[in-house]
Amino acid sequence: MTIRADHVAGGALIAFGVLVFAISADLPFGTVSAPGAGMMPKLTAGLMMLFAAIIFITGKQSAPASSIDWSDRGHALLLVVITAIATVIYTTLGFIITMTLLVFSLLVVVERKKILPAATYAVGLTLFAYWLFGMALKAPLERGLLWF
Amino acid sequence: MDRRQFVIGTAAATAAAALPHAASAQAFPSRTVTIVNAFPPGGANDLVTRPMAAALETVLKQPVVVDTKAGAAGAVGAQVAVSAKPDGYTLLSHNNGLAGYAEVDKLFGRTPKFTRADFIPLARLSADPVLLLVNAQQPYKTLEEFVAAAKKEPEKIVYSSGGLYGASHLPMAMLEKAIGVSKMRHLPTAGGGPAITAMLGNNAAASTQSVQATLQHVKAGKLRALASFGAQRSKSLPDVPTLKERGIDVTYHLWVGLFVPKGTPAPAVSTLSGAIAKAAQTPLFSDAIAKIGLEPGFLPVADFTKFWDEDSKRSADAVISIGRVQG
Amino acid sequence: METILNSLALGFSVALRPDILWFAFIGCLVGTLVGMLPGIGPLAGISILLPLTFGLDATKAIVMLAGIYYGSQYGGSTTSILMRIPGEASSVMTCIDGHAMAKKGRAGAALCIAAVGSFVAGTFGIVMLTLIAPPLATFALRFGPPEYTALLVLGLIFLAYMSTTSLIRTLLMAAIGLLLGTIGIDVMTGHFRFSFGIAELGDGIGIVPVAVGLFGLGELLATPSRQVAADIMRPKLRELLPTREEWRQSTAPIARGSVLGFMIGIIPGSAHIIASFMSYAVERKVSKTPEEFGKGAVAGVAGPESANNSASTGAFVPMLALGIPTGPVTAVLIAALLIHGVPPGPTLVNDHPNVFWGFVASMYVGNLMLLLLNLPLVGLFVNLLRIPYAYLYPLIIMFCVIGVYEVNHSIVDVWIMLIMGVVGYCIKKFGFDPAPLVLGLVIAPIFEMSLRQSLIMSDGTWLIFLQRPIAAILLAICLLMLALAVMSYLSQRRDWRAKLAEAEAASEKN
Repeated sequence: MTIRADHVAGGALIAFGVLVFAISADLPFGTVSAPGAGMMPKLTAGLMMLFAAIIFITGKQSAPASSIDWSDRGHALLLVVITAIATVIYTTLGFIITMTLLVFSLLVVVERKKILPAATYAVGLTLFAYWLFGMALKAPLERGLLWF
Repeated sequence: MDRRQFVIGTAAATAAAALPHAASAQAFPSRTVTIVNAFPPGGANDLVTRPMAAALETVLKQPVVVDTKAGAAGAVGAQVAVSAKPDGYTLLSHNNGLAGYAEVDKLFGRTPKFTRADFIPLARLSADPVLLLVNAQQPYKTLEEFVAAAKKEPEKIVYSSGGLYGASHLPMAMLEKAIGVSKMRHLPTAGGGPAITAMLGNNAAASTQSVQATLQHVKAGKLRALASFGAQRSKSLPDVPTLKERGIDVTYHLWVGLFVPKGTPAPAVSTLSGAIAKAAQTPLFSDAIAKIGLEPGFLPVADFTKFWDEDSKRSADAVISIGRVQG
Repeated sequence: METILNSLALGFSVALRPDILWFAFIGCLVGTLVGMLPGIGPLAGISILLPLTFGLDATKAIVMLAGIYYGSQYGGSTTSILMRIPGEASSVMTCIDGHAMAKKGRAGAALCIAAVGSFVAGTFGIVMLTLIAPPLATFALRFGPPEYTALLVLGLIFLAYMSTTSLIRTLLMAAIGLLLGTIGIDVMTGHFRFSFGIAELGDGIGIVPVAVGLFGLGELLATPSRQVAADIMRPKLRELLPTREEWRQSTAPIARGSVLGFMIGIIPGSAHIIASFMSYAVERKVSKTPEEFGKGAVAGVAGPESANNSASTGAFVPMLALGIPTGPVTAVLIAALLIHGVPPGPTLVNDHPNVFWGFVASMYVGNLMLLLLNLPLVGLFVNLLRIPYAYLYPLIIMFCVIGVYEVNHSIVDVWIMLIMGVVGYCIKKFGFDPAPLVLGLVIAPIFEMSLRQSLIMSDGTWLIFLQRPIAAILLAICLLMLALAVMSYLSQRRDWRAKLAEAEAASEKN
C-alpha cells in the first residue's frame, strides 16, 4: 500500500488530538448546566480527531506522500533559522541592530547579494522603519540594552 | 491645541523618549513609564487611568503610556505587572479584585502565582458606589421585592458580572450572604461593559455595577436601580436607598488604584506616589473625573495602604463565601 | 424625514467648519497609516492619540478618533494585497484574492477596487446609521448568548460549504482553530489552559501572529526567489486602474458586501470580524466562475473589503444609539466621549445634537476624504512591487516581525508567528486551506463563552436554542445548508468543486 498525503496528515492530527486529551486531563468538563473549563478543548479536540479520521480513511484518493514537492525546504529552513535568531536577540540588542542584521543576513546568506549593497539597503530600510513606527506613530519600539 | 503644536509636540515627545540617556541622567524617571491596565477599554479603570497618565506626564516630564492587558477578570494584567522588572517604570492600574486572586487559588488548592504582598500600593484614584440593578422589564420594583424573590426562587434569577470572583461579582456575593441566599445563577461575561449589555438585553435579570457605568441607562429607563452599596446615597441618584438604610449591612465601592510590583526601590516609590498626588490635583485629572461622572475618591499613599488592608479582607471573605465554583 | 434633513444640515454646518475638517483629515491620515502598517491597528492608534485630544472639545476629539477607526479599515487592504500580510483578522480574506491579483500584475486594480468598495460601503453604512439607528440598535440588543452561538455556527457552516477545499478538510482546519482558541486563562472559571509555563499565553494566542504567520511568512517560505517571474509582479503604470470588466464584476459584490457587513456590524460583540469571511463565502456561492476564487477573483476583493468597512460603520449604531460598545474600539470611543463630558447613550441625540450630528456628517466628509487620499496613493504603493523580489521579501519579513511584536510588545507573539509560518508552509503541502483555521481562532472565545452562557441561562437545557426565535431561525438555515450539501453529494451532481478539480487537472497537464 502506498502511503498517501492524507494518511500522513490525518495520522499526524489524530496523534495531536491524543496529545491534547492527555494534557487536558486535569481540566474539569463540568456539567451541562455549568460547563467547565475542559468542555471546549475536549469538544474541539474530539471534532478535530473525527475529521482527521475521515481524512485518513478516505485517504486512498489523495496523491502519494512521496509526490509532495519539498524542493523549497532549504530556502524555508534558512529563512526560519535567520528569523529565529533575530527573535532571540531582538529584546537584548534592540530594534535597529536586530533588524539591520536580519535584512542583511537574508540578503547575503540566502540571496548571495554583494555585501555593500546589502548593507546599504539593510541600514536604510531599518532607519526608515524606525522613523515610521517609532517617530511618526509614537509606537514604542524595542530599545534593547543599548537604548536605541 | 494648535495644529502645528500637535505635530511638533508628538515628534518632540518621541524624540525625547528616543534619545539615549547617558549615565549622568540617573534621576528617576529617565524614560517612558508604562501603566499596565488590567481591564478592557471603556471600563472604569480605563476611564480613570488615561487622564491620570496624561496628568502624570506633565508632572514626571516623561511619556506615560497606558498598556491594556485585560483578561481573566484582571488576573492577566496583574500577572504581567508582577513579572515586570520592578524598576518603577511599570505601574499597575487595578481594582477591588487584586487581593482576591490568591484567595481563589487557595480555594482550588493551587499555589498562588502572586498575592497582595507582591504589590506596593501608590494611590487610590477613584471610588464609585455600586448599584443593585435590574432590567426595567423585570417585575422587581423595590429592593424588598427582589430580596423576597431571591429568597423564594433563587434559581430563577440570573445575574451577570464582569468575571468570576471579579469586582462586579463580589458585591452580589456579599448581598447573597447577607440575605442568606446562595443559589442565584451567575452569568460571567468578559468585562463590565458586556455584563451591562447582557442586562440591557434582558439576558440577565440583575447585576451589580457602578453608578458611573450605568447612570445613563438608569436615567433612560432601561435599567432600574434598586439599592446602592454606598455609605451614603449617591448624589446622582438621590432616590435610590442604600442597603444600610434598609438594614442590610453591606457596603461596596468599585475603586481604581495604582500599584507597583514588590521590589521597586523606595526612592522610586516615593517619587511616583508624590507625583501621582500632585497629578491628582491638576485640572486635567480632576475635570476629567468630574466629567466622567465619578465622585472624587482620591486617597494618597498612606490612607490608601490602610484602606487596602481593610478592603482586601472584605474581598477575601466574599471570595470564600462564593466558594469553589464547579468546572 | 424633514427632521433628519434639518439635523443633517446642522451636522454639516459643524462638520464643514475648517477646524473640524482639519481634525477629520488628521484622523483619516493617521488611520490610513495605522491601518496600512501591520501590528498597529485602530485600537493602538486611538489609544496612542487619545491623550492628545484631552485639550480639544468633544466634537473635534470624536471626529478625529473616529477618523482613525474608519480610516484604518481603508488602509487595511494595502499590505494584504501587496505583501500578503493581513494587518488584522478582517483583511485575511483580502490576502487571498488581492495578493493573487497583485501577482498577475493587477495590484493597482485591486487597491482601487478596495478603496472604492470601502467608500461605497462606508457611505451606505452612514446613510443607514442616519436613518434607522435607534430601531436597529434595539433589535441588535436581542442578540443574547444563544443567538450568538447560532450565528457563529451558521458562519462556520457557511464557510465550510463554500470553501476551496472539501467540506471535511475545511471543518478540520476550523476545529484546529477553535482548539487553538481555547489556549489561555478561561474567562469563566479562571483555569489556565495549556499554559506550558508561559505567562503571555494567559491572554490566549493572538489572531495577528497566527494570521501573519500562516499567510505572510508561510507564503514566503514556499517561494524561493528563483521561482518568481519578475515582470508579472511589476505593474505597468497605465495598468493601474481597473478595467471596465473589473468594475462590472465588482459592482454587485460591493453592494452585497455593504448590506451584509452592516447587518453583522450592528450586533454587539466582536463577531463583526466574520463579516468579511461571510461576504467571501457569499460571493463564491453566487459567482458564475467560482473556480476563479483564490486565483485573483475581483469579487473576492470587492465583497470582503466592502463588508469589512460597512461593519465598522454599523458598529457605531449601538454605540451612538444605546451607549454600549460593539468591540474594543467603540469602547475606547465611548471612553473618549465620556472624558470630554458627553455621556453616550439613548439621550445623546437630544442632549448634544451638535456632537451627534456633527459626528455623523463628518463621517460623510471623512469617507470622501479617504477616497481622495487613497486613490493617488495607489500609484505610490504599487511601486513597492518594483523592488526585486530578492530585496522585497526581507522587507516583508521585517514588517512581519515588527507588526506582530507591536501588537502586544510580546516576543512570545513573534515565536508564535514563526511556528505558524512553518505550520502554514506544511499544511499547504498537504492541500489544506489556512483561512478556516484563522476564522476558528477568531470566533473560539466568543463561541465558547456564548455557548456556555446559553447553557447557564437555560440551566443545562439545549432547548434554549430552539425557544428563542432568532436563534431557531439561524439554526434552521444551518440545517438547510447541511441538507443541501448532503443532497448534492447523494445525487452525485457535479458541483463547482468537481469542475474546479477538472480545471486543475487540465492545467497540470499543460
